[in-house]
Amino acid sequence: MRTSLLLGAGLVLALATLHPTQATAQQPESGITPPVVKSQVAAALPAGQSPAQDEEAILAVLVDATGHVTSAQVVQSAGKVEDEAARVAALQWVFLPAVRDGRPVPSKVRLSFHFPAASAAPTPPVVKATAGPKSQSPVLASDVAKPAETESSRVTIVGHARPPSRGASDFHFRIGALSLVPRANASELLKLAPGILLSNTGGDGHPEQVFLRGFDAREGQDIEFTVGGVPINEAGNPHGNGVSDTHFIIPELVHSLRVVEGPFDPRQGNFAVAGSADYELGLDQRGASARYTIGSFNTQRLVLLWGPEQAPTGTFAGAEIFSTDGFGQNRDARRATMMGQYEGRLGDRGSWRVTAQGYSAHYHSAGLLREDDYRSGRKGFYDTYDPRQGGDSSRFSLAAEVEDRWGDTVLKQSAFFIDRSMRLQENFTGFLLDPQLPSQSLHGQRGDLLDLDVSENTLGARGMVRHRASLLGQVQALELGYFARTDHVDGTQHRIENLTGTPYRLQNSLESRMVDLGLYADANVAMGRYVRLTGGIRTDLLTFDVLNRCPAVAGSGPDAGCDPQASQGQSQAVRRASTASSALLPRASLILGPFDHFSFNASYGEGIRSIDPIYVSQDAATPFASIRAYEGAAAYAGSLGPYGLVVRSVFFQTRVDRDLVFSEVAGRGVLGGATTRTGWMGAARLNGSWFDQAAHVTAVKATFDDTHHLVPYVPQVVVRSDSVIKGDLPLRIGGRKVRGAIGAGVSFVGARPLPYGERGDRVLALDASGVLSWRMVELGLIGTNLTDQMFRLGEYNYVSDFHSQGEPTRVPSRHFSAGAPRAVFLTVALRLGDES
Amino acid sequence: MMPRALLAAFSSLLPACSGATEGRLVTFSAAAAGPADAVQGQPYELTSGRGYHVVLTRARLHIGAAYLNQSAPSAAAPSQPCELPGAYVAQILTGVDVDVLSPLPQPFGSPGSGIASHAVAAEIVLTGGDLNAIDDPTIILDVAGTASKQGTYYPFDGIVTIGRNRLQPSTDPAAPGAEPPCRRRIAAPVAVDITPADGGRLVVRVDPRGWFANVDFAQLRKVSDKPPQYRFDDNSETQPNLNLYTGLTSRDGVYGFTWEGP
Repeated sequence: MRTSLLLGAGLVLALATLHPTQATAQQPESGITPPVVKSQVAAALPAGQSPAQDEEAILAVLVDATGHVTSAQVVQSAGKVEDEAARVAALQWVFLPAVRDGRPVPSKVRLSFHFPAASAAPTPPVVKATAGPKSQSPVLASDVAKPAETESSRVTIVGHARPPSRGASDFHFRIGALSLVPRANASELLKLAPGILLSNTGGDGHPEQVFLRGFDAREGQDIEFTVGGVPINEAGNPHGNGVSDTHFIIPELVHSLRVVEGPFDPRQGNFAVAGSADYELGLDQRGASARYTIGSFNTQRLVLLWGPEQAPTGTFAGAEIFSTDGFGQNRDARRATMMGQYEGRLGDRGSWRVTAQGYSAHYHSAGLLREDDYRSGRKGFYDTYDPRQGGDSSRFSLAAEVEDRWGDTVLKQSAFFIDRSMRLQENFTGFLLDPQLPSQSLHGQRGDLLDLDVSENTLGARGMVRHRASLLGQVQALELGYFARTDHVDGTQHRIENLTGTPYRLQNSLESRMVDLGLYADANVAMGRYVRLTGGIRTDLLTFDVLNRCPAVAGSGPDAGCDPQASQGQSQAVRRASTASSALLPRASLILGPFDHFSFNASYGEGIRSIDPIYVSQDAATPFASIRAYEGAAAYAGSLGPYGLVVRSVFFQTRVDRDLVFSEVAGRGVLGGATTRTGWMGAARLNGSWFDQAAHVTAVKATFDDTHHLVPYVPQVVVRSDSVIKGDLPLRIGGRKVRGAIGAGVSFVGARPLPYGERGDRVLALDASGVLSWRMVELGLIGTNLTDQMFRLGEYNYVSDFHSQGEPTRVPSRHFSAGAPRAVFLTVALRLGDES
Repeated sequence: MMPRALLAAFSSLLPACSGATEGRLVTFSAAAAGPADAVQGQPYELTSGRGYHVVLTRARLHIGAAYLNQSAPSAAAPSQPCELPGAYVAQILTGVDVDVLSPLPQPFGSPGSGIASHAVAAEIVLTGGDLNAIDDPTIILDVAGTASKQGTYYPFDGIVTIGRNRLQPSTDPAAPGAEPPCRRRIAAPVAVDITPADGGRLVVRVDPRGWFANVDFAQLRKVSDKPPQYRFDDNSETQPNLNLYTGLTSRDGVYGFTWEGP
């Protein structure tokens, strides 16, 4: 027996060499189940071209997470004709994908094709597989002279070192075929995770509002967002502490997405209240490609992608230019994004990569409309009150990462720098917040348009060391890691006079420097074959140094501007405050199984959200929002006939001692009371060679602890389905097959609770796409909101006065942001290079 | 096992759809009327605080809007803003021209709306347009009748607008905004004890006695001798004109709010 587990260089995480004849009895270590051959195709030589002597071609094939061979490279040649025959055959093989920690993962497999000499083999060589659910590796056999049972095959799991699964709420999505489902941006990939609802009242360049598992995470304040480990959350952003704008990510460059719902992984840091989401960048399609989209509302999008053919998935460059007039009034947007990453090898087992990114956007927003104005015909469904709403956004970042391995120890170190700016103009209340004060010159309501300007710099690093050792007959792992970031944020917020467009009041002016230092230990302890305890502890120290250049305003009335107003003669003052706090956060998951494909887990975790700098006062204990989360779950990872099937069921409860509640006056979420949400999530993904179907349902009830009333705006039921069917069409052009694919995404959101006992509308939206590809050309058609529903993307109940009625409106009423009407987009893509 | 799991899953969905957030939005009808002791189609007689016997033959009042507040502004804080964001419980936005000689409720142009919270104060807004506009030509009050005292009769008429003619410049240089136009158009706070509810009706009763409480009809400008006719001028410059306007915007005794129904 020869079994080893190697962590390799570059893309290699684990290299397990198994003897095929022993594979069925040998349980691979570290929870890795190698791919199993489901169907195979013989390598057929042209008639009369059998070799003069026995030959063997060995191919390295890449098996994706759905079990399909995406590439085949000859590593040992048997001759030109034989190699090509083997390659053509190998590309048609189908596997049950490799499984790690209950999840299908891509893998690299070596296949050997034996070509007997002409005298010994009157028929073309046949390669057979002894496939079956208990097989642990590709088991190759031949009915010819040299049986493959005597060959060894090696299984290489592809990818960077990844943390162990936390159970059924730990989702790792390889986008793969689901990229065909229409998605406007990288944020929408989050919909693959159960319970996530996206909304956007601020326009095409405004961060998406995310709801997850009963949390109104606003623009990401309650979800820790990272891209390749680099934080996206903006600590100290005056629009919301932890705002996350993912528009800088080109969705075609998202290779996979890990979403952990709940704070169950010690790696999760600040803002992981509802959970975390990490985008992993990569480009499967090698070569160069250009994709141009044109469609409704004069929308145009050009994407250029390039991945050198011999380079790994992690090496790529991409650019995106987007413009749209937007639907209805005042929804135009322009943006450009560039992303590049180079991944190189470090010795035999290590890798390094450098990632650079630049993004800039300018956009307008229609904001919210009063329902009574729409109902009475005073406003159209897609109209706006204030065309000044919108903003600008930019983000530039540079990150570097090194990963290496010595023996059973993996080390990873990364550093990043981010330069970010944001301008945001929003008007939630119209003409409400500017009453005449005696000390002011006479004025009417001048308008409530907020003009927020923020510039931020983030410098940080993270690193970890993970050691594996065999103990008690099992592989055990311990990881120690750190996270460090410092943020320097300068933000000012003015109110803008409607008539002149000039600022009439400075509301906030903060210069903040924040430091977050986190340490964690994460153990993955196998207590026998079916019991695993994973988890550990994390501690974070957060320090704040805040210079408030508008101290008179903090906590006072809406008209207490700190400018030296002409009528007041006030002089500006400043106030500096600094403080620090730390938190100790235990997290653990007990995972049982798999028992005949079923596994179960129980998890507990605590998380934090740091304080908004506006609330920092000298030496005051920084009021973290503290989170406690529990869940119990069951999952099935196996097959349904010839198809891969993963099903999960999770019951969860999360309590937050200081939740965020939307304030239309502040124009963002503000600290509220303690809340608890209890719910259930079910998810399933079924895929095969010609289809991929993912669906999930989340039902959650979020209530305030003191009153037991529902937390407003949080959707209680979210259902999502993503479907893709793909395959060769019975059509050939120039002797080459035409491939086709259709994708559809369906979202249902139950009636959301709104303040004052109200409920919002149910939302049912259907998006679909179809793609035809032939050789290097791809033609796609995308339709969104196919039923053309006039749906309300967001609904709110609060007081506003947009001067739309004869007298000032002063009591709460319904407001909404309109969802996009039906839209159609045509895409033409041209690929140069890899035609697979 | 599967059916049980499904049952457990679906039963968990049910409570998720239940519950409610705090508070409740309500809509209700609203009307304004003259004093309850008025007789439809008949002049209304009253005795003013200055001892005049007044027979009103015409009394039309334009109410622009009405609001209920959950807190009463402090009487010691006269310079409080006209608008108090967050303080409002209910609103009636579409105005009504009330025949104050009629005791019958006359509906506002549209229903009222608000939240189911207790209101302790009310505002009557006497404007035909922008509350903060410098000028407003809307005729807020149109009155006619005869006042008499000690055998002297004063047939009178008059209109009241609340625009530039009522502006009162601030006398305090440190408080240039102490007298905004909106302040001249609001009668508040009127004490109430009301919790609006769906399906109810808010009735505003206007009592003209308060309008004339301090009016000295003898000081009215005489505009005609035969027959004698006196007139309120549309300004605040003389005693009767000022006091009619003051009575019109009084928070005491002029406007009464009652709630009918649930």
